[in-house]
Amino acid sequence: MAATVATVEPVPDVEMTDVSDSQEKKDAAVIQEIRDNIRQIEKAVQTKEARFMLRVLRSWSVTRRKLNAVVLWSVINGFYTHSASDKELLLSYVTTPADIPEAIKMRTGKNATGALLPEIDGYIRLLVLVQLIDKEDYKKAVEFSDLLMVKLIDKNRRTLDLITAKAYFYHMRCYELTDQLHKIKGFLYSRLRTATLKKDYEGQAVLINCLLRNYLHYNLYDQADKLVQKSVFPEQASNNECARFLYYQGRIKAARLEYSVAHKNLVQALRKAPQNSAVGFRQTVQKLAVTVELLLGDIPERHIFRQASLRKALVPYFRLTQSVRLGDLTMFSETLENFKKNFLSDHTYMLIVRLRHNVIKTAIRAIGASYSRISVDYIAEKLGLDSPKDAEFIISKAIRDGVIQATIDPEHGYVQSKEPVDIYCTLEPQMAFHQRISFCLNLHNESVKAMRYPPKSYGKDLESAEERREREQQDLELAKEMAEEDDDGFP
Amino acid sequence: MTSSFDEIKNLYQTLKTEWNKKKPDFKQCNSILLQIKIGMTKHTFLPTSNVEASQKEYLIARDILEVGVQCSIAMHDIPSFERYMAQLKCYYLDYRDKLPESANQYHLLGLNLLFLLSQNRVAEFHTELELLPYDIVQTNTYIRHPVALEQYLMEGNYNKIFQAKSNVPSDTYNFFMNILSNTLRNEIAECLQKAYKKVSINSATKMLNFNSTNETNDFANKKKWILGQDGYYVFHLEEEKKAIEPLPALQIADYAIQYAKELETIV
Repeated sequence: MAATVATVEPVPDVEMTDVSDSQEKKDAAVIQEIRDNIRQIEKAVQTKEARFMLRVLRSWSVTRRKLNAVVLWSVINGFYTHSASDKELLLSYVTTPADIPEAIKMRTGKNATGALLPEIDGYIRLLVLVQLIDKEDYKKAVEFSDLLMVKLIDKNRRTLDLITAKAYFYHMRCYELTDQLHKIKGFLYSRLRTATLKKDYEGQAVLINCLLRNYLHYNLYDQADKLVQKSVFPEQASNNECARFLYYQGRIKAARLEYSVAHKNLVQALRKAPQNSAVGFRQTVQKLAVTVELLLGDIPERHIFRQASLRKALVPYFRLTQSVRLGDLTMFSETLENFKKNFLSDHTYMLIVRLRHNVIKTAIRAIGASYSRISVDYIAEKLGLDSPKDAEFIISKAIRDGVIQATIDPEHGYVQSKEPVDIYCTLEPQMAFHQRISFCLNLHNESVKAMRYPPKSYGKDLESAEERREREQQDLELAKEMAEEDDDGFP
Repeated sequence: MTSSFDEIKNLYQTLKTEWNKKKPDFKQCNSILLQIKIGMTKHTFLPTSNVEASQKEYLIARDILEVGVQCSIAMHDIPSFERYMAQLKCYYLDYRDKLPESANQYHLLGLNLLFLLSQNRVAEFHTELELLPYDIVQTNTYIRHPVALEQYLMEGNYNKIFQAKSNVPSDTYNFFMNILSNTLRNEIAECLQKAYKKVSINSATKMLNFNSTNETNDFANKKKWILGQDGYYVFHLEEEKKAIEPLPALQIADYAIQYAKELETIV
């Protein structure tokens, strides 16, 4: 294998001299960046260290933003020196730039005729694919990603896994954009099986997420839930994939009324998501998190709605929160009507409809807190209910669910509040403390697990332990001597 | 292969004629259905392989299943209803693009929703609901009915549910509505116990939606409610008992040990 692998020529230190245009300069910089990346990939393959590959992929979104036809054209021309047919094929998917730039030789001598490393090949093809998606040329993108998949899946190289994982995602994305997601379900499953067998963790994570997204696209919550239950999400997966998985899980759980689990997942997803980029993802997650929190009967903190990147997107949810907090049913229905479109496109509408009874509950709680005795008719009027009979049932359910402490007197038609129990006499505070303490402890343990340690540092630790024992021994001896001296001092 | 398909077709015809009679013999229908089901396994009856069956086959299969669903309701056979529904759902959803929409589709899907509700399987109810397009949920009478019921149930607006009982979109809904109102009575009874100190037998009858005080009496006996001399049920308030709750010492010790253990690993 190694004999056929061509090495990439080291990049010359001297920058190109005759750049006049700033655009040209920029392009040159991008080309340079890609070449650097490709060298990293090569290093990753040679040393079998996934670290270098990860570094390349981390800069992926930056590189993606800077791509253009000129850059791709030069890169393809520079690297595909070994096979004219491959080069032609790739170039047919890239728009030929208006003025063709001077070809730069990126590989030299004997190596230039050898085949490219599959990893580098995959990387360049991915760049082309992403460019196609960005230019919204979806038909071609689907075609190209089919080709790419064929190419990637018959290679059995562990160093290729990270690139393949990325490719799976874009493959799914192409099909999603052309609205034919259902076609690739079988393919994704067969790849998931292979990835699981080969312990390709990143691939597994990406594929599970793709499948979940696929199911949720068609609102197939049942199937998605079964997939989550039956598959094991690899712990080694990257943070971004974890965040995605947690979000999907949150969505499924919310639909299935397991709100507290859903909320936990969503909050974790927010923490795992990249903090400075991925604004869209954070917005989506936050929207759902707010909705779920409301469904739980809690009121989200106001500062959530104040964050600069989220403020605008969260306006409908802010209104919603206000109406729930006030227990104002008319305001609630108004908000629901006004922002229906937003809620529908956020997939939260169905959840928000369920909020109605939370609004009623808050209203009842408010009434219970402010009146010691109130007639049922008046409550029905306050809540905007059709009849006092309805109100009586609703209140009796609220009492049973522990929303308020009261009794109903049917003869005289009023609700009598009970004296509130002193909460500090109950176990409630202890439970609250326990919850907080276990949260902190858990946080500590998680952070210890998440830390990265320099390799082989555990050896040093062991030595120090031995040293410590020696030192302790010395201390002991010293103490003994001192004790003896003391004895001597006081006869 | 073709001969057996013709056989199914014949059976299907007899089933149809039997079903469309004014008073269909359900037992007869069921036995025909049984034969058809055995016959259909030889065809691409369920989407198990990649072989595409013809549209005609799908349509017939769907029709048969629809009859099956309604038949099992008429026979009050819930497990069989659930089975037919599960099979039918893939015709409604997975073949949505290939087949023309069935006239019975929303009727039966609504029925399924009501069924889930009556079994108190609320999580499944919501996952099923998510599958339906939003405007259908809002406008279709068959679907709107169970959706509204669910909302009333969550709010505790039981009065509205009893009202809804009288205006069901189809007779088939009645079977599940009756099951639902039985579960409801238990719910209401629990509410009564918690929220009222005492309640007269007349108002209890009204609350529980019984027709006569005798029914209420039977129900109350099951719940072990005691009817006082003055015609009131008096509920024992459980709070007084609660006041002398013993300290959960074991649990507290458990927590303390847990904290100590965690602290030790940190220090």
